[in-house]
Amino acid sequence: MGCYIRRRLLTAIPVFFGITILVFCMLNLAQGSILDLMGEGSGATDADRAALAASLGLDQSLPQRYLAWLGDLLQGDLGTSYANGRPVAYLIAQRVGPSLLLTGTGVVLAVAIALPLGVMAAWKPRSGWDRTASALSLVSFGVPGFFLCLAGIFLFSVTLGWLPANGMYSAGRFTGLGDLIRHLILPAGVVCLSSVGELVKQTRTACLEVMGEDYIRTAWAKGLTDRAVMVRHAFRGALIPVLTTILSHIPHIIGGSVVVEQVFGWPGMGSLLFSGISSRDYAVVMGVTVIIALTVLLTNLLLDLIYGIADPRVRYGKG
Amino acid sequence: MRRLIALLMAAVLALGLTACGGEEETAEQVTVRYGLSNAWDSLMPYNSPSGSNYTRIICDKIYDRLAYVHADGTLDPRGAKSWESTEDGLAVVFHLDEKAAFHDGTPVTAQHWADTIALITNPDCPALGRGTFSVLAGTDSNGCAVEGEQLGAEAVDEHTLKLTFKSPTTPEDFLLDKNRELYVLPTHLLTDTAPAQIMDLDLWDAPVGSGPCKFVEELPGSQLVLEVNQNYQLGSPDFDQLVITVMDKSNLLSSLIAGDLDYYAFGGNVSVEDAETARAAGLEVVEGEVPNTFYELMLNCETIPSAQVRRAIDLALDKEALCLQSTRGLGEPTATDVTPGTEYTCALTWSRDVEGARRLLEQGGYDGQTYTLACTSNRSGLAALMQQELAEVDMNVTIETVDSAALFSGMADGKYDMAIASHTPGALPLWFTESRLSESNNIFHITDLEPYTYYIDQIKAASGWETRQVLLDKLQELLADERPFIPLWFGRTLHVQSPTVDHIDYPSSSFSNENIWAWRMKAA
Amino acid sequence: MACLLILSLELLAVFLLPPMLGLAPNVSDLEAGFWAPPSAEHPLGTDDVGRDLLARLLSGGQVSLLIGLSSAAISVAVGVPLGLLAGYRRGAWEFWIMRLADIFQTFPSIVLVLCLVTLTGASVLNLVLVLGLLGWTGIARLVYGNTLAVRDREYVVAARALGARTGTILRRNVLPNVISPVWCSIPLRAGRAILSESSLSFLGFGIRAPQASWGSMIQYASNLTVLTGRPWVWLPPGLCIILTVLCLAGIGDGLRDALDPRYYAGRVAR
Repeated sequence: MGCYIRRRLLTAIPVFFGITILVFCMLNLAQGSILDLMGEGSGATDADRAALAASLGLDQSLPQRYLAWLGDLLQGDLGTSYANGRPVAYLIAQRVGPSLLLTGTGVVLAVAIALPLGVMAAWKPRSGWDRTASALSLVSFGVPGFFLCLAGIFLFSVTLGWLPANGMYSAGRFTGLGDLIRHLILPAGVVCLSSVGELVKQTRTACLEVMGEDYIRTAWAKGLTDRAVMVRHAFRGALIPVLTTILSHIPHIIGGSVVVEQVFGWPGMGSLLFSGISSRDYAVVMGVTVIIALTVLLTNLLLDLIYGIADPRVRYGKG
Repeated sequence: MRRLIALLMAAVLALGLTACGGEEETAEQVTVRYGLSNAWDSLMPYNSPSGSNYTRIICDKIYDRLAYVHADGTLDPRGAKSWESTEDGLAVVFHLDEKAAFHDGTPVTAQHWADTIALITNPDCPALGRGTFSVLAGTDSNGCAVEGEQLGAEAVDEHTLKLTFKSPTTPEDFLLDKNRELYVLPTHLLTDTAPAQIMDLDLWDAPVGSGPCKFVEELPGSQLVLEVNQNYQLGSPDFDQLVITVMDKSNLLSSLIAGDLDYYAFGGNVSVEDAETARAAGLEVVEGEVPNTFYELMLNCETIPSAQVRRAIDLALDKEALCLQSTRGLGEPTATDVTPGTEYTCALTWSRDVEGARRLLEQGGYDGQTYTLACTSNRSGLAALMQQELAEVDMNVTIETVDSAALFSGMADGKYDMAIASHTPGALPLWFTESRLSESNNIFHITDLEPYTYYIDQIKAASGWETRQVLLDKLQELLADERPFIPLWFGRTLHVQSPTVDHIDYPSSSFSNENIWAWRMKAA
Repeated sequence: MACLLILSLELLAVFLLPPMLGLAPNVSDLEAGFWAPPSAEHPLGTDDVGRDLLARLLSGGQVSLLIGLSSAAISVAVGVPLGLLAGYRRGAWEFWIMRLADIFQTFPSIVLVLCLVTLTGASVLNLVLVLGLLGWTGIARLVYGNTLAVRDREYVVAARALGARTGTILRRNVLPNVISPVWCSIPLRAGRAILSESSLSFLGFGIRAPQASWGSMIQYASNLTVLTGRPWVWLPPGLCIILTVLCLAGIGDGLRDALDPRYYAGRVAR
């Protein structure tokens, strides 16, 4: 077991460095830079620009800057926002909660819908359940997330006036759970809807596969009721592959919520990334992308470890 | 296994909730919710890399300025009660309001103003935007104080501030041009800090100013909570809190209609079509009276060196159609940057002449080169229309959609050949030309600025309307011959009235100031 | 089958109708005016600059379909050789190629695409390249897994024993046995690419004006007046995207049924 963990961790290290190099190169080779921002009307002079460039370390060579940046990153320092002079780590820390709330709610909702629906669809193929499941996965796959956002705003916010279409609170701060939930419904609904299809599909497939296994046949043979076989045996056997799907879907879900946060003005990491890109605040963009990628890396690692514990075959099998 | 999942989900929810929960509201407070389409950058007014109006309109709340500028160019007292020129015209004396005080209770004195200017012009201080102060005596062209010279900002007594200029300047000219960039800082909190370290102070994360609102908390780039300053010298509104939220431009009007906002900057402006939607939703929409946008096509005189080619572009453009596309009838095409309705005029007229443009292109030696036209994303339609009009005279243009900061910097770097820009017009005859036709900001890349600066200096030095007008006409003729930029139109704005707040001076927000102290909640 | 038919019709319409009808997507009709409602002359009305929306829908379709299909092709062209190499050569090849795939897969694709497109500048070519080059990991993994299963089969060992060169073995013996799942995933990749492009264009980071794409046409709907009062502007491109992506998914399913007898048999047995 120790050997397996070590091996897994060792492969994660080059990936970690790869991520940092990729992010760093991508954003530093960019032609534009923060100095562009000091445009007309800002009253900035060439001297101002040179001073800012020096203070940002833009006068050093690329490898030097990478090492400095990496060193800071390992100490938890993500640099300073070019635009407002705040530490990027502080900016991100403020956005983690809202992002977690939005994606968390979306995923929980999606799982709550997908698990029962997937099981039912596998249990009774070609039934109403199965058809609902296929319809849901079609919507989920075929309709772009932003279109769902627009449809939601059009229907529930503009036409019916039931739900707010922007932000997290109406009075600028937490005034009660009701207010927060009202703001949460539309964006979380879109996050849920755009990932639920894949989950339903995977649950259904996993259940179907499990139902062909010998131990299910044994359960049938024992004379257990349909219900007992489904819930106690088939569903349990399918849980691991379903969990895998959920976790491996996390990058996709985070990616989807970037768009959702932007459209709904949700103050999370996605809208932070977005404003960073449009104001060319590369320190923020680098910080957010690295954090997102590292989160995904850690989740994958955790998933593999849990897997190794749960299933001995994994430990001795493939690298 | 089931329990494990339940636990996991509960943990995620709990984490999310605690992270955004925060303190519960106790007392019932009246809150005004204020929308803004772009984020401010710094709450330290002299540390804003963008120097954008979004930062200015936020600093306008927290910090105090000398005067309040109305959309038509008239001035009202604010930090200063009155002002007058000295006899030689080289200095202006401001009589400050004795009631003004910082949010920590310290009274604002003339020394604060003088110290603020001394600090920002100090070359050791990493201030941005100090170019504002280059008009003051004792500074160089970048606005840095020159050693051994007397800086033109001094406190005569506790409540009298004297600003001395390099050339004769009336208080009106100075304030119209610079008021929005001149704030008073709490210098009594800065005495222990070396100028070089000023920007690193924690003070700017929770700033103390002397403006109509006090800082409460900030979610950078997303939200700012302010509390009304009950002791503001001009009075205070009858609500307690101002919550400023950044939201996508497209959400502003719908949030106002849905009742999730009380007002949005700048001045609740809407397009003609959206005004219909707003009216249909029961909101009142009022038309601005003075032109408050000026559209121009900036040209790069280095990459388009021939004046004939530049004039040909002017002739090829159908300003009427462009103006209609952009303003839907709320604008007047123009041949000059002189603002209509002010005391200065310009007799030049414009007309479209495709044949003439073709002839000029031939004379100018246009060789079929493809030019790059930059615009911001909300004007890509306008750019596409221009592209078609220029294609009619066989001129090739590609469109580059960028954000406005990149647009101006790309223009300054010579990356683009032309760019669509808009500005808030001023009442002064040189509001547009003076800053752009100068060495420090030669955004049109003019090789020889001499002919322009000759007239500009003369106009500035001239006394009396008549001499100025004559000189202005000459400058405009020169501009028409050389065409370093193409004036397009002056537009007016429609303002959606707040359904809940009264006494908002909507148009003045185009000068980056709002009369928030006078705002009153409408009776429910 | 229906999916294939719809998609072919769409391709024909998008590429043949504009020249046949003489539609000009980038020319304003100032007489019709801006935001004209549907009429005989402009069946879908005009946009904010007076351009015919039907013409733009079709030319936007060209862009969207072109981006989808060609970026899928690039993903295959990159992913298949890398997957083959990693699976067949193993060792260092396997390690580095798979780690590279790991790196790319830790980024949510839209985040990476968003960054890269802003950096490289928006144009159809850049979009195709970025979307294509970022899509290789899934395909490489698919090929890699199958190659691992095939590499020690008797016929491969025999070929190796006969002294065939690696390139030949990969091409003659391995590739034919691992390629069929790739065929099924191409339409899905194309669908994903179309969705990514439309999201980007919707957010304002997509193709360059005055060109149209379906995503950039839906962007008009973020304006309240267009969203509520002019559904003919944003509904057609939205429906086109949905229809196209679903058809591509359907084709992928169909290919799988046809190419993978096991799967098909399983479905029938059930």
